[in-house]
Amino acid sequence: MTLPEPLTSEQVYCRCPLELLEFETTESLEDLELPCGQERVLRALEFGAGISADGFNLFVLGPSGAGKHQLVERVLSRHASQQSVPPDWCYVHNFQAADRPRAIRFPAGQGQQFRRDMADLAAELRTAIPATFESEEYQARLQEVQEETARKQHQGLFEVQEEANRNNIAMISTPAGFTFAPMRNGEVIDPEEYKKFSDEEKQLVESKVEDLQKRLQQTIQQIPRLRKEVRERVHALNEEMVQLTLGGPIGELREKWSHIPEVLAYLDAVREDVVEHAEAFQDSEKGPPAALMVRYGVNLLVDNSDTTGAPIIYEDLPNHQHLSGHIEHRASHGTLYTDFTLIRGGAIHRASGGYLILDARRVLTQPMAWESLKRILFSGQVSIESLERLYGLVTTASLQPEPLPVSVKVVLLGDRTLYYLLSHYDPDFLDLFKVAADFEDDLSRDQGSYLLYARMIATMARQLKARPLDRGAVARLIEHASRLAADQRKLTAHDRVLGDLLSEASYWAGQEGVDTVAASHIQKAIDEREYRASRLRDLTHEQISRGLVMIATEGEQVGQINGLSVLRLGAFMFGQPSRITATARPGRGQVVDIEREAKLGGPIHSKAVMILSRFLASRYAPEQNLSLSASLAFEQSYGGVEGDSASVAETCVLLSAIARIPLRQHFAVTGSMNQHGEVQAVGGVNEKIEGFFEVCRNAGEVRGHGVLLPASNVEHLMLNEAVRQAVERGDFAIYPVSHINQAIELLTGMEAGEPDEQGVFPEGSFNRAVADRLEQFAEASRKPDDSRDSGENNGGNPGD
Amino acid sequence: MTDREHSRDNSKSRQGRVLILLDGSRTSYSALEAAAEIAARRGSDVLGVFVEEVNLLRSAGYGFTREVGSVSGISRPFDPEQLEQRMRRMAGHARQALARAVAGRGGQHDLKVARGSAVGELLALARPDDLLVLGMPRLNMVSGLLPGSPARGLIRESPARVLLWCEQRVPERSRVVVALNDHREANIRAIRTAVEASRHYQRPVTVLLPPGSQDREQEEAIRREPGLAGTDLRVRTLPATDPGSIARVLREEAASHLVLSRDNHLFREPGGDLLLAQLRLPVIITP
Repeated sequence: MTLPEPLTSEQVYCRCPLELLEFETTESLEDLELPCGQERVLRALEFGAGISADGFNLFVLGPSGAGKHQLVERVLSRHASQQSVPPDWCYVHNFQAADRPRAIRFPAGQGQQFRRDMADLAAELRTAIPATFESEEYQARLQEVQEETARKQHQGLFEVQEEANRNNIAMISTPAGFTFAPMRNGEVIDPEEYKKFSDEEKQLVESKVEDLQKRLQQTIQQIPRLRKEVRERVHALNEEMVQLTLGGPIGELREKWSHIPEVLAYLDAVREDVVEHAEAFQDSEKGPPAALMVRYGVNLLVDNSDTTGAPIIYEDLPNHQHLSGHIEHRASHGTLYTDFTLIRGGAIHRASGGYLILDARRVLTQPMAWESLKRILFSGQVSIESLERLYGLVTTASLQPEPLPVSVKVVLLGDRTLYYLLSHYDPDFLDLFKVAADFEDDLSRDQGSYLLYARMIATMARQLKARPLDRGAVARLIEHASRLAADQRKLTAHDRVLGDLLSEASYWAGQEGVDTVAASHIQKAIDEREYRASRLRDLTHEQISRGLVMIATEGEQVGQINGLSVLRLGAFMFGQPSRITATARPGRGQVVDIEREAKLGGPIHSKAVMILSRFLASRYAPEQNLSLSASLAFEQSYGGVEGDSASVAETCVLLSAIARIPLRQHFAVTGSMNQHGEVQAVGGVNEKIEGFFEVCRNAGEVRGHGVLLPASNVEHLMLNEAVRQAVERGDFAIYPVSHINQAIELLTGMEAGEPDEQGVFPEGSFNRAVADRLEQFAEASRKPDDSRDSGENNGGNPGD
Repeated sequence: MTDREHSRDNSKSRQGRVLILLDGSRTSYSALEAAAEIAARRGSDVLGVFVEEVNLLRSAGYGFTREVGSVSGISRPFDPEQLEQRMRRMAGHARQALARAVAGRGGQHDLKVARGSAVGELLALARPDDLLVLGMPRLNMVSGLLPGSPARGLIRESPARVLLWCEQRVPERSRVVVALNDHREANIRAIRTAVEASRHYQRPVTVLLPPGSQDREQEEAIRREPGLAGTDLRVRTLPATDPGSIARVLREEAASHLVLSRDNHLFREPGGDLLLAQLRLPVIITP
């Protein structure tokens, strides 16, 4: 088999051609309005922002740091500016049911005017009505009413008393009322003397007394009616006077607001209420009670007087109250009270008629916020209810403001996992969020994209107030963007990482006292970020250098190979070699994955081991039972192994153990393998290669070392400067392998060997050695005492 | 039948006495508080008078008489024994209330319980330098200033000043208003009483001259009156003497107290005494 050539330095790193960056610094580049390479998400946003049908809210899904918020705001702003300004909303007192404040809708900007008008009216009420009540006219008329009624009240009593006097009967006050008794010369006759009266006289007196008592009784019982009458007359008088006083100002307001029928109805209710409470205005010193005057106020809940186009609201703490509004309470003398002026609108109110941007994760983590948001979107109206009431925790009376109709386009920002979880578990989700705008993680890197990307960097630098970048710095940043995308043909779309790098590079440029960021500053920023994050990597490499973690980088060993693994700690990834060992002996055709047995191996790794078992069986024992009991282990690995990127290394080490042929330890191997022995691409190749390179360098010698990686991974290489230089010098070799035989030959120096038509491998080849050894195992297994293996195989993986 | 609470020489009153008619009504107890306060300020003794009305006791002796409730109009039998018990109970309450009112204010007090007529008893007890205090019957008690009521009789005949007391909400910037008439001596008595009330309640004085008064000398003389000179005195001429006009002026002046002579036109006008009951402010009537 033809052995692959080691990669050149040009193959392990794709440079950004400086000649395509036709500018001196980013200062001369125009801002990029929309990000490049995000056509899919832009089309989704444009569609979602434009369509007005129900349920076409947006979910913008993409990784954090991709600049979702900025892009969404930019796209929505363009749409919003072409839309009309939504109306204002006010809450006013409901004079029929005080606990259900009424909502009135105003054209944008007029709510404020109405609030001012009502404040002016209230001020006028405070002065004009007391003045009316203090007027001569009112006082005179009130006096007339009261005098007339008092006269009526007393007239009856006087008449009764006069009649009693005429009949020589005294009307005497008692502690509780009146009584009648015969009198003479102004004094009541002694009852003893009365006994001397004739029967006729007595009958006359007694019938008169009885008659007077009845008349007095009737007179007194009329007093409540008279009082009611006077109250009604005084009320009618007050009403008449207040109507006259209010006629002017309320008439003006009615004319001014005649285009809003709800306002006219409200003004009529105000007039009736003022008349109803006219007496409360009579105290010219203290004025009407504040509790009364507050009823004529206006709570301007949504004020769009300064809004241009449709509103775009971002609520950074989207809890229930902040979304749907809440009702505040004031404490006074140990009690809490509220009224319609303490109703506070939420983000939904402010965003009505426009767009509301929310972070999906935050909405979901706030109690009831997600449910409230869905209720509002389903019903198209927002009711202001406290969280305690929704949960049924309080039963105290509170306000129930009239629900407001809302028309709002909600844009949720979240990562993909959330989107898919919501789609799966929340049956309402897809009804309400029909438009998914999916961010690209990476952008294509081609000739046409360099300048666009440079403009994006220039825009970002200006937004971040960073120093301008020269061409070299932009090129270095583009190269690093490829490294972040782990692909020579891609550039990362993560705004945040690039933005952070820009800011840091600008800082380092500032430290050097230069006004332009150069490539060296970008490199410095990259190196510093790496250094800050690399404590654990350095510790791991130190343990290898000191031999605490055993990695051989020299010589040859049977059943031992350097695999490569990647560790991710937060945003930092690094690679390190791992020693993989194998043992082989006769058995029932099984490969024991020690990682899996110890429950340290993940399912993908187990699958890879099963694949290599089948590969072994089909390649070396296609016609008979495979007599093998083998084991594979990642030595000194305590944290679990996952993935299939070690399957090439595992195959090689297992074959080495079977054939007892040593493997070269100055190579490390990565790559996954299928059942036919073809090598497949894996992830994290840059970190893996750099990790092994670092270990070799720490061991004292790089020369002669190298890494075997899948040929399909070559275009993912964006290796660092040190590795590139070693590759260029020919010290460090990176071999792209596409088949397991190539790996075997590079690791053993032996021909792998292709089977002939009978399936026999050529004499002296590596594969022949493996096949022969397996034949020996089979022979051994056929011996009568081979049952000795049965015990240790119990519980093992049969492999077939 | 004098009930002496403190042993002392009653004849040695320091500033004349304050006589308070206690009849068991709430207004009389309210007036008692005012009387005790005035007495404390003047350094006077308080003499409570509780009169068991003979007319009332006699009328209860008739088997056919009934008591008609002043508010409900309901009539019920009028039992003499019950009335006697009620009188005794009320006298006991009056005694306790008097002691409570005076206690802590430093004055001395007596309660005189008599059987007869309230007017007769008070007139018999009253001396010119005394002050008679009566609770102004509330309008809804109807009895008000009906002819024959104690208030009306006393106003006409008392040698001493009479205070018809009424609970009221005193507005800020209120004034003591004194209404004068054509009788010079009576006017002087009224003005001096007003000055005393002004000092007592720390309110400025408004003097109301009878209609048509253009006598600058009289006004000057009033302004020179001891106690008024240099104060915030206001002198106004009444537009008319009818109760309505007087009521309006009193409202304009935010009157806290009204002082007038018993010879004032108001008492001669129809509805005048009814007005007094309606004004709801304390009225001091000078002889």
